[in-house]
Amino acid sequence: MRNKPDTEPHPILIQAEGLSKVYRRGSETVAALHGVTFEIRRGEFVAITGPSGSGKTTLLNLLGAMDVPTAGTLILDGFDVASLTESGRTQLRRHRVGFVFQHFGLVPTLTVEENVALPAFFARRNDARQVSELLETVGLGHRRNYYPSELSGGEMQRAAIARALVNRPPLWPADEPTGNLDMQTGLTVLGLFRRLNADGLTVLVVTHNDVIASAANRRLDLRDGRLMGPDTGPTSMPRVPAGPG
Amino acid sequence: MFRFALRNLLRRPVRLALATGGVMVGISVWLLLMALGDGYRAGLRTELDRAGIQLMVVPLGCPYDAAARVLKGRSLETSLPSEVLGRVRSDPDVSLAAPLLIVSTPREDERRSDLWVGLDDSGRALRPWWKAAQGAGWFTSTNGFILGSEAALIEMRSVGDRLHSPELGQTFRVDGILSRSGTSDDSLFFIPLSAAQRMVGQEGRLTAVAVRLRDPARLREVMQRFQELPGAQVVTMTEMMGTFLRLLGTVRSLTIALTLAACVVGILGLLNTLLAAVVERSHELRLLRALGASRSQVMGLVILEAVLMMWAGLLLGVAMAFLMGLVLEPMLQPLLPLAPLDHLLDWRLVRLLQCLIAGVVGAFLAATLPAVYVGRLQPAGALTP
Ligand SMILES: Nc1ncnc2c1ncn2[C@@H]1O[C@H](COP(=O)(O)OP(=O)(O)OP(=O)(O)O)[C@@H](O)[C@H]1O
Ligand SMILES: [Mg+2]
Repeated sequence: MRNKPDTEPHPILIQAEGLSKVYRRGSETVAALHGVTFEIRRGEFVAITGPSGSGKTTLLNLLGAMDVPTAGTLILDGFDVASLTESGRTQLRRHRVGFVFQHFGLVPTLTVEENVALPAFFARRNDARQVSELLETVGLGHRRNYYPSELSGGEMQRAAIARALVNRPPLWPADEPTGNLDMQTGLTVLGLFRRLNADGLTVLVVTHNDVIASAANRRLDLRDGRLMGPDTGPTSMPRVPAGPG
Repeated sequence: MFRFALRNLLRRPVRLALATGGVMVGISVWLLLMALGDGYRAGLRTELDRAGIQLMVVPLGCPYDAAARVLKGRSLETSLPSEVLGRVRSDPDVSLAAPLLIVSTPREDERRSDLWVGLDDSGRALRPWWKAAQGAGWFTSTNGFILGSEAALIEMRSVGDRLHSPELGQTFRVDGILSRSGTSDDSLFFIPLSAAQRMVGQEGRLTAVAVRLRDPARLREVMQRFQELPGAQVVTMTEMMGTFLRLLGTVRSLTIALTLAACVVGILGLLNTLLAAVVERSHELRLLRALGASRSQVMGLVILEAVLMMWAGLLLGVAMAFLMGLVLEPMLQPLLPLAPLDHLLDWRLVRLLQCLIAGVVGAFLAATLPAVYVGRLQPAGALTP
C-alpha cells in the first residue's frame, strides 16, 4: 500500500483539506460539500451537526472511506483515500473504520453473534471469545443467539456497536446512531460512546440530538456543505491513547 | 460464508424450490435418457452376441421386423419355403443352422397369446446359457416341453405336469423349467420343432433359420450366396444392431437437443432468480461492503449461492432420475424392440460426473451477471435505508 503511516501512530487521525463532493445524476449535479477543511486528532469525540441536507452523511461517507471526494484531499490514518485502489479502500474500511448506522444495518438472516463477527469474518479472523466479550461489554450476552427481528431498537443498536468494534478500528463514525431510539435508550448508547471514547476510540457522531452534541468535545457544524463558525480545534485534549485499537 | 449463503437461499423458499425444481427436472431427464441409451445399447449387444450367430435367414418382407420378432420370440405370418433349410445346411461355410418355428396360440379368455417356439437339436447349441432350474435342460421326448421361468410361474406348472391341447389332440409333458436368464426366453414355451410343425399342421414349415458360420470373416460371400434363396432374405446381426442403434440414435439426438434447450432455459431461470435476489438485497450487500467485505467476497457469496442452488437441484435430480427409472423401466421394456429384459437402464458414473460438472459450469454461467452487478455495488449507499 502506498503512503504507509509511520509505525508510531500519528496524533492526527483525519486530515481534510478543501474536501468537495459533487453527486452526478445524469445531467444534474448536486454539490453536497464545498471545500471543507479540518483535522481530527486521535481520541477526540466530535459531533457533526447541521440541518437536513447540509451534507453530514456525505461527509461521514468520505471519512469512512465509503466514497471518494470529488476534489480536495483526505488523509485517513496516514492513507490518502482518493489515491487508494478499490481494494485499498476495502482494507481501510475493514481495519480502520467501525461504522454505526442510523438503521442499525444488521443482517436479518444472521444471529446477533454472527452479525457481530461479520467484519472479523471478512478480515478472515475468527475469535469467538472476543465476540462474546464484546457482547458482554454492550450488555447483550443473553441475546447472542437472537435474530435482529427479535431485538428492541436499543438492543439492535448495541449489537451494531459491538460489531463496529470487532476489528478494533481507531475511527468510529456513527450516522445518527440514536435517531431511531427513544431518549432513555439514546442516553444508554451515549454512555457506551463515552466509555469507548475514554478507552481511546475516536468517535465521530452525526446527530440532531443536542444532548449528544454537547457531550462531544468538539462540534463541526455544516450548512449547505460548508463548515460554520471558527473551528477552534479541540477544546480540551483528551488523554493520549496507548495506541491504536 | 457457506451458512450465510444457505440462509440467504432459505429466505425465499418458494423461489428456491422453483429454481432447483427446474434444474432437478432437467438433470433427471438427462440422466434417464443417458441410462436408457447406454443400457439399450449394451443389452442389445449382449443379446445379439450371446447366441453367437452371424446371420439369420428370414422370409421376404421387412427383414428387420422379421429378425426382431424372431429374436423376441414373436410369430410371423409368413414362413420360409421348406427347401431353404436344406440348402443352408449344405453350404460349406455354415457350421450350424438352427431352424425355428414360432407359433402363437391366442387365449381369448386371458387376452394374450402363448408363444410356442419350436426348436430342433441344433437350437440347443445356440443357447449355451440355458440352465434348468428344474428337470432337464432339453427335450427328453417329442412331446416334451420346456418352460421359461416366467412362463412357468404364470402357468403354475412344474416338471412332470401334463398339458392337454384339445385343438391338437396332443398331450405335452413338462420336461424342464429354465432358470431366469433376463432374456426373452423367460416368457416362452419351447417345444420340439416337429411338435410345433404338427401344431400348425404343416410339415417343414419354418419361421427362420439362425446361422453360425465356420469363419465369420466369410460373411460377405455367404450373404451373396444366400441372397439367391427363393422366398428368403438374409439379415446380418451387425446390420440389425446398426439399424436399431441408428433408430435409437435419432431419438436420442432429438431428446438431447430438447434437454439442452431445457438446460438453457434452466440456466436463464436460475440467472433470473439470482439477479432478482441480488437486486432485492442490494442494500444489504452494500452494507457488507461497508463492513469491510471486499468486492470478491460479496461476488463469491452470490456465486456460492448459485452453486448451492444448482447442487441441490442436481442431487434431487439424480434421486428423481433413479425413482423415475424404477417406475419407467418396466413400462418402457415392452415398447422397445429387442429391449434387454433384465436392465434396460444402465446407470453410469461417467454420466453422473458429466451432470455434476455441467451443473457447476451452469451455476457459474448463471451467476456471472448477478456477480458483475454485485461487484459494482458501492458501499456508500449503505447509510441511507
Ligand atoms: N447519492 C446521491 N446522489 C445525489 N445526490 C445526493 C446523494 N446523496 C446525497 N445527495 C444530496 O446531497 C445533499 C446532502 O445530503 P446528505 O445526505 O449528506 O445530507 P444530511 O446532512 O445527511 O441530511 P439528513 O440530516 O437529512 O440526513 C442533499 O441535497 C442530497 O440530496
Ligand atoms: Mg444524513
